[in-house]
Amino acid sequence: MTAPLYIALRFATHRKRALLLSMVGVVFGVGIFICTQAQTQGFAQFFINSTIGSNGALVLRSRFQPRYEGMVVSAKATSAPAHRNVFEGITNVSEIMRVSRQFSNVVACSPVLRGTISARAGFETTTAELFGIDPTPHLRTTDLAKQIVDGRFDDFRNNTTSVIVGHRLADFLEVIPGDTIQLLSPGGEYWRFTVAAIARSGVSTIDTSRVYAHARVAQRLLKKSYEASMIIYRLRDPDRAPSLATHFENLFQHTAQSWQEREEGNLQIFSTLRMSAAITVSLIILLAGFGIFNVLTMSVLSKVREIAILRSMGYRRIDISAIFLWQGALIAGIGSVIGCVLGALLTWGISKVPIHIRGLLYTDHFLVVWDWRHYLWATLLAIIAVFIASYVPAHRAAQLQPVDTLRGSSL
Amino acid sequence: MKGELSLSCRDIERYLGEEESRVHALRGVSLDVESGSIHAVVGPSGCGKSTLLYILGLLDEPNAGSVNIGATPISHLSDEELARRRNELIGFIFQFHFLMEDFSAHENVMIPMRRLGQMNESEMHERAATLLEAVDLGDKLRRLSRHLSGGEQQRVAIARALANDPSVILADEPTGNLDTGNSQRAFELLATLVREREKALLLVTHNRFIADACDWVHEMKDGRIIVSHPHGQRISV
Repeated sequence: MTAPLYIALRFATHRKRALLLSMVGVVFGVGIFICTQAQTQGFAQFFINSTIGSNGALVLRSRFQPRYEGMVVSAKATSAPAHRNVFEGITNVSEIMRVSRQFSNVVACSPVLRGTISARAGFETTTAELFGIDPTPHLRTTDLAKQIVDGRFDDFRNNTTSVIVGHRLADFLEVIPGDTIQLLSPGGEYWRFTVAAIARSGVSTIDTSRVYAHARVAQRLLKKSYEASMIIYRLRDPDRAPSLATHFENLFQHTAQSWQEREEGNLQIFSTLRMSAAITVSLIILLAGFGIFNVLTMSVLSKVREIAILRSMGYRRIDISAIFLWQGALIAGIGSVIGCVLGALLTWGISKVPIHIRGLLYTDHFLVVWDWRHYLWATLLAIIAVFIASYVPAHRAAQLQPVDTLRGSSL
Repeated sequence: MKGELSLSCRDIERYLGEEESRVHALRGVSLDVESGSIHAVVGPSGCGKSTLLYILGLLDEPNAGSVNIGATPISHLSDEELARRRNELIGFIFQFHFLMEDFSAHENVMIPMRRLGQMNESEMHERAATLLEAVDLGDKLRRLSRHLSGGEQQRVAIARALANDPSVILADEPTGNLDTGNSQRAFELLATLVREREKALLLVTHNRFIADACDWVHEMKDGRIIVSHPHGQRISV
């Protein structure tokens, strides 16, 4: 143990109450920081997982016509890019999927024929979004099987005239597995389907409108000439979806959209909430820093004589400074460890708190994420705040002239 | 004078304060202190005794003149280097003992050793115990210094000053806060240890009997050493 650390420990034990109070600030700052980050990211992560699990990490849509720049330039030419011609639907689905699977980041892909229809059951009618899917690749690409809350996916797979209905839509239409639902075709005729299962993604916009049907049936119902209006992808690393989307656009000449682009608005809300929580909680750590600054400043003032004695015995300025920085480090270290434990307990406790959210997300309890980075950031924040708070008193202690103190005692 | 030269200064000038309150505290002071000898500096309050002691102890810098420890000049040394030499070569004893109140006797003695960093914990404990036994405090090693009497505290300070086996001990009125009996005992102890261990001792004192018992007495007045007497000569304290 170094001499400054030993003396710091001894000084610290003589100002237990003040140091404990300072430490409490760090403990609560770190704990609450971890807890709020776990919550805000928990909701965001749930939303991301749900949306990727339902709509894929990447979606390839309509074909567009490549833009060519002619030789003749208009006298009033603008720098704005010309609009490209977009053709609805994907015609060469098999070829695109075959090439896509060659990419290492692609885990699975599935064609989807999408259209808007009216759904009717009993006396209720509403607009719904029809997803015509091929069950086997769709199961590999999305979490649809896991999202089934009532009924069986196999009943859907084995019956081409069956559908899977989003659970909030099913609630509205008051249907359960085994019931009949009617879907209105663009030709104005109602087609009758059996509800095979109810699915809950947790994302409101999906659960209130989605109906899954078999692709071939959906193509006939929607009277589409093409077999798919989009291909959705499951990616090994969803964070790399934007770069893959750009690559796919150039490669296939079809519009491609990453989940980040698709959910940009919602992600911004989550990001803003998370940042806001972090700033608010950082203020607690900042206040703890002020407390530590006060405690250490008082400690320096009360130890002026001891500092002079230490200097007379050959302790360097850097040793004196280290004594007070060590005290700060002890507060930060012990406070952070206890704060991390408190943060974990708070996070666990919060995750058990029942809530009833039926808006953007569907959940019956607080959603949390267990991420070691929250603990790392909280600890780093505490260490930085405490170091800044300790530095000024430590520097001041190091600059004290021992002779001034000693001369004051005996001239 | 016999023995090796431990500490010396030449033509020391020191000003204290700023502008109108500026005081010429030391005016061309020169002094030689040999190992195994005891030197007393006497004089009225404010004559510059403590200022001289702090300069010789490398705690303060002179405005002019030079200080040597052994054969080494210490002018132009960095603050870090001065601190290292203070730790290795100089032991301080102050009037008000200046112990760490919340540290035990043996912890106080170990403070300079910790800085030196040449011994492990058990060796430091052993040395501190030996030194405290030498000052007759072997049975109070673990007692907090604030729970010791004034005489005992000063003896702890003496043990602490000897912790790193320094070649020079500087004492600023080491018995100034003790009664006559304790003063006498503390000085005798210090003198014995210094002579046994071949240290150089320079002490500032107002105590006539202590000054009389020193090998050399330097009388100061108005920032100057006006006269230096060897042992036995009458002085005008």
